[in-house]
Amino acid sequence: MSKFVTAADVLVIDKLNKVYGRPDKPIVHAVKDLSMTIRKGEIIALLGSSGCGKTSTLRMIAGLESVSSGSIQLAGNRIEALPPSKRGVAMAFEGYSLYPPLTVRDNIAFALKAQKLAASDASKRVIETARLVDIEGVLDRYPSSISGGQQQRASLARALVRKADLYLLDEPMGQLEPQLRAVLRGRIKSLLNDNAMTAIFVTHDQTEANALADRIAVMEGGVLQQFASQKDLKIKPSNLFVATFIGEPPMNVFDASLTRSGEGVSLALQDGPSISLPAGEVSPAVLNAIGSRHTITLGIRPQNVEVAHGGLKGIVTSNQWLGDQSHIAAEFAGKTIVAVTSARVAARPGAEMPLSFSAADMHLFDSETGAAIAHGREAA
Amino acid sequence: MALRLQALSKSYGGKTVIDALSLEATSGDIVTVFGPSGGGKTVLLRLIAGIEVPESGQVLIDGTDMTYATPDARGIGMAFQNYALFPHMSAYDNVASALTPRKLGESEIRSRVNHIVRLLKIDHVMGHKPRELSNGQKQRTALARALVGAPKILLLDDPLRNVDAKLRYEMRLELPVLLRKFGSTVLYVTQDYKEAMAIGNRIAVLIAGRIVQVATPSEIYDRPATVEVARLFGDPGINLFDVTPDTDGRVAIANAQLSIGAEFASAAGVPCVLGIRPDAITVSQTANGATFPVDVVAETPLNDRSVLLLRTADGKEVLAALPASAAGTTPIGAAHAAFASASALMFDRASGLSIARGARP
Repeated sequence: MSKFVTAADVLVIDKLNKVYGRPDKPIVHAVKDLSMTIRKGEIIALLGSSGCGKTSTLRMIAGLESVSSGSIQLAGNRIEALPPSKRGVAMAFEGYSLYPPLTVRDNIAFALKAQKLAASDASKRVIETARLVDIEGVLDRYPSSISGGQQQRASLARALVRKADLYLLDEPMGQLEPQLRAVLRGRIKSLLNDNAMTAIFVTHDQTEANALADRIAVMEGGVLQQFASQKDLKIKPSNLFVATFIGEPPMNVFDASLTRSGEGVSLALQDGPSISLPAGEVSPAVLNAIGSRHTITLGIRPQNVEVAHGGLKGIVTSNQWLGDQSHIAAEFAGKTIVAVTSARVAARPGAEMPLSFSAADMHLFDSETGAAIAHGREAA
Repeated sequence: MALRLQALSKSYGGKTVIDALSLEATSGDIVTVFGPSGGGKTVLLRLIAGIEVPESGQVLIDGTDMTYATPDARGIGMAFQNYALFPHMSAYDNVASALTPRKLGESEIRSRVNHIVRLLKIDHVMGHKPRELSNGQKQRTALARALVGAPKILLLDDPLRNVDAKLRYEMRLELPVLLRKFGSTVLYVTQDYKEAMAIGNRIAVLIAGRIVQVATPSEIYDRPATVEVARLFGDPGINLFDVTPDTDGRVAIANAQLSIGAEFASAAGVPCVLGIRPDAITVSQTANGATFPVDVVAETPLNDRSVLLLRTADGKEVLAALPASAAGTTPIGAAHAAFASASALMFDRASGLSIARGARP
């Protein structure tokens, strides 16, 4: 990320924990020893399914939730004990709602009060921000008279309009109609980048995380699983959870064993064929991994499964054309393998289908712990 | 014809919800009913099931007029997005509840239920109560109950809505294969265009109580009958430009005169909407006679493509979807965009109807 090479760290989270303990209820350790550093101007997604700890983390940074232990430093100041209004953060949260007695315009303008802008400047900023999120048509309405999606965007505008060290956004585009979503993502990303705004947003939708974020923090069970760019999450997932969670449709996984054979590698799929990979196709990382272990879990993304040619054979179970992609499922090695391609493929259910995948697209994981052993596209 | 709907109309409190709707489905057809919410999808299923009665029109099942027949006389199975399982009964009893012991006898019921639940891979949870089942198992149990009576017509109302993304994807692959094994005529309501394309051999697009187009998934995507249908399919959605083609088949976009082909001369002088899907748009640093100037505003990567938000000098926003291999190769700032006119779709601006299209679709 060239844009951040010289950027200073703006948010430093160190060994953050959140433990919920209520009488008569089991203790929940919602966030476990979370440490992360975010640079000025970065857009960060906290991604995970419900209960993974992402929202607790965001609420602790915002000050809406107390910290059980650990520290949060923003722009050089420790903030974990400060009230929300003293932290220098702007936020758009579900339930952190608009003021019902104020119009949408006044709700957004209210966030600018502290900045003491000239009235004409303030009014211009409000309109620009409202236009950005497509609510300029409802500026003079009251929150109760606009749709849920419009309320969400008004709340987003209220956060984005002001100056802050950090912007915290909770599922910022959850309720948007699909036609608007792609355009709005582009507009918001451009606004954040042009003004070097630092932002953290929570989402359960990896499409949204991929589209907006410079880096994505994948969380599960209160633990940060991996914190990397979407490209690195794809190429070098740190474990089987991240590998199968990131990417749609999910990665195909097979139990397999690997052995060196001559200069190359032989890959034997459980209940399936053995595949010989010539030496030149196998990355040094994979070769190094073979020395010590043989039984592994093999992962191949559906986008990396070649159909219509190759030495492997599957029996097609379904072939669906979605207008711009084919999704093909086939029985292979006693399981279902899914392939995605932008080509239209003529293959009827029941037909034999040639398949192949390149060694460069293989991901190898420890079958017991799920930890990544090697990836085809990483340097050794 | 297994199912024939003739000029069905239904209104509530003076508001027309189903408007002279006609649709035919043959035996073994899987028709997905897709459209914006509030378009009448669920009401349509209720009219076919006999839960609602139309003001006019007919519901014919195997040629017999069933418009006013009771639900259980129609030979219809139904499953809903909220499963509607009986909470106090085991999964087995829920499935068996669709069959009448008086008519069939216990052993016949047992054999039919076992057959269905094995096919749906839920035979191992038949002793469980609904609350002990995962969402996917509940959904399959509801489906088994709908299928066990071997209905001529199967109505499924957004059955995958409440299952998680991973299972929804698996079911999207499996369900059409499974449904074909039963030979029922299926009407399948969904709010997800990809599900509509994946599951149906035909799609009926329902907008404001009317079926705007019935066709195969490819036809609907490549040859949408109206601009509204074009907008409903594709992610990111289709780009639309207001244009008026001239007699040489040229249009003006962002002050550039672009020649899009003689096939569009038929629309000369007609105010039109030109539709270009994001994957047909390319961006480069060099201008030529086929490009129009744009600002690259932002790049937002998708799973296997990368989406560019472009803006023309007159403020029009355009989305381009590039292959993932091109991600990160387009600098933010001034550039030139072009589109493959072979994939252009032209709609009459007044009526919204398709009036011309490029050579490819």
